[in-house]
Amino acid sequence: MNKLKLNYISLSFLPILVCIPLGYQLINNIHLGGFKLFQEFLISAFNPKIDNEIIITIINRLNETILIGFFSWLVSIIFGAIFGIISSNIFYKIFNIPNFFYRIIRFFLTIIRSIHEVVWGILLMQIYGINFSIGIIAICIPYIAVNSKVFAEQLEIIDYKSFESINQINAPKFSSLLTLIWNPIINTFKNFGLYRLECSIRSTVILGLFGIGGIGTSIFLSFQTLNFRELWTYLWSLAILIILSGLIFKKIKFNTTNKILSIFFIAVFFITILFSFSYFLYFIFNNNFENFNSVSSLFKSSSDLGLFDFLKLILETIILSLLSTGIAISLPPLVIGIFNNNSSKFFIKIFAFLLRLIPTPVILLTLLTFNNPSLSLAALTLGLHNAGITSKLLFTNLDRQDKRNYIAMKSLGISKKTSWLLGLFSQQAKSYLAYCAYRSDIIIRETAIVGVIGSVGLGWQLQESLSSFAWQEVTIVLIAYSSIAIVGELINGKIKNSLT
Amino acid sequence: MNNTLLELKNISYKYKNNLILNKVNLKINSGEKIALLGKSGSGKTTLISVLNGTIKPTQGEVKLFNKSYEELDRKQKRKITTIWQDLRLIEDLSAEQNVNCGLLAENNFYFTFKNLLNISSFKKAHKYMQLCGLHNSIYEKKIRKLSGGQKQRVAIARSLIQGSNILLADEPFNNLDPKLITTIKNLLLENVDKKNSKKSPKTALVALHRLDLLNDFDKVIGIREGKIFFNIKRNNLKKLHLDKIY
Repeated sequence: MNKLKLNYISLSFLPILVCIPLGYQLINNIHLGGFKLFQEFLISAFNPKIDNEIIITIINRLNETILIGFFSWLVSIIFGAIFGIISSNIFYKIFNIPNFFYRIIRFFLTIIRSIHEVVWGILLMQIYGINFSIGIIAICIPYIAVNSKVFAEQLEIIDYKSFESINQINAPKFSSLLTLIWNPIINTFKNFGLYRLECSIRSTVILGLFGIGGIGTSIFLSFQTLNFRELWTYLWSLAILIILSGLIFKKIKFNTTNKILSIFFIAVFFITILFSFSYFLYFIFNNNFENFNSVSSLFKSSSDLGLFDFLKLILETIILSLLSTGIAISLPPLVIGIFNNNSSKFFIKIFAFLLRLIPTPVILLTLLTFNNPSLSLAALTLGLHNAGITSKLLFTNLDRQDKRNYIAMKSLGISKKTSWLLGLFSQQAKSYLAYCAYRSDIIIRETAIVGVIGSVGLGWQLQESLSSFAWQEVTIVLIAYSSIAIVGELINGKIKNSLT
Repeated sequence: MNNTLLELKNISYKYKNNLILNKVNLKINSGEKIALLGKSGSGKTTLISVLNGTIKPTQGEVKLFNKSYEELDRKQKRKITTIWQDLRLIEDLSAEQNVNCGLLAENNFYFTFKNLLNISSFKKAHKYMQLCGLHNSIYEKKIRKLSGGQKQRVAIARSLIQGSNILLADEPFNNLDPKLITTIKNLLLENVDKKNSKKSPKTALVALHRLDLLNDFDKVIGIREGKIFFNIKRNNLKKLHLDKIY
């Protein structure tokens, strides 16, 4: 018998095998009690509620979402760039700073980004109470660290020889640094800025589900009252917001040769830094820190969490991450490959957009209408949402790709599906897997959200511990979360490096 | 009077257990024009990198202006300019921005900022680009869009704009057509170009492959397997010498 040989194509499809255990548990957990509700949910998508009252609510809620989303994006992208610079190799080479500091900063940022914005949000809400600025801060904390990683990765690929050449000119160190990093920073902003803005808006919506305000809060309230028509009005308005922000972002030409535009961007850069610092100081000194005292009881509070239960929760979180990653990797190429025609493509794109648009807690709550809460259901939710994101990337790259191989194969009489697989997807498989490795880092962090709603893993425990102000438990859970995320990031980093 | 500008004393350089430079001794005096000959991989680039301080030798002493590299202040370091074999231009910047990078050392941070935003004056850069035979249609083009010869001339213009006294060049005539080679050679080696009020570096060490370009040099150094085989006046160069290194 021939030995199975793994290549990038098979590695892209093999993870779909997670659907076997997942499907088994999901079928066993089916209940038809809420099937009607699910049906109603689907039908309402085509019949959203539109009246004066809801339009006013939408305008107000979208205003809040835009404010939180935009400001958290702006602050996190600017500070992300700054932290990206000081966590990149080139900075330490130019200033001759020992690599020790480089490792410390990177480790610190890894810990910060390992905790999801929802966790930061819940944590901050417990300490400071519900506050508009909590939303911005909760998003900014992990996003600065996430963005810094993106910027640092782009700066790491600066040709070392360019550095040597600038260094040899003996320019002042800041001049050398700026000359070398200028374009990589601008290009990273151009390439990732819009995506990060979309992420920021999505995070604002998810935080809204936990009461921070904005359209997310309205979505959650309408879901709680089973008012699906209203829910879909909010979801469609959110879709319009995301599409519009994308169009506006694409319209702005980040042309650094335009003097006025350059000066405007620099002004925005410095004003944001100044404003952020002043606001941060204002926030610190003007908050009454109602519940802050409870933090001091951190070491006094006891934990009822048994070691066995705790290990079980960690294991659940890891399994949840693996199952979701499997779906997110394999589902898009499988579906796109099978339904490889223009009309199907259109529907897949819309479906993928909806999966990205509808916040994971809402997807999970919807699925709960006909399935009992379980690890598989949480994994399916997280997997589907992330498949929406990975499929967007796959579509974009496939659309850009040279199609001559595909056409040549089809002209040889090879079937459309095989031609797609070997003529198109084969050239994307490697970079697609590399992106999925990065995506799985995010999936690990996102297990917190579905955990909170779906009673699975550490996310659930975190919610429980926070509700009972069991700070010691909260700390233990957060350390466990960070550890899983850090180990995951290390493994994924190795996979990504071997793929790029 | 001691007019030695650069001096290598017993220099060895090892990279991954390979001895790239082997006990090299060399003195370069002010005003000398030296051609460095040797096969590919003979250690020419490493020798230049040791001279400009990019590489620290495994063994031996490097003296520039009678000081070790660490003892030099920025003003003294600026007296040396290098044209690298692989050019080392910044691919994402335009040709004129790259040439202006040669002025970073003598200007403040604000100049860097203006250069990156494209709002600095490119007058001086354009003058040197013109001298190197670059047409104004390529001034604003990004480096990655230029041909090999154009990139080579941008690198030369960047080096010349620095106005340094000492030139270290690693095969600077690569990718150039014969007519341009003469122009560029004159630019690099003639002391003063009155017509264009441009000062060429007074002292030069140029790594070469082509023997027909030796005419303008005072001395010739032959290097093989990291060892200097001869260091003689150009007029004394014989076939016998070349046989030793090729």
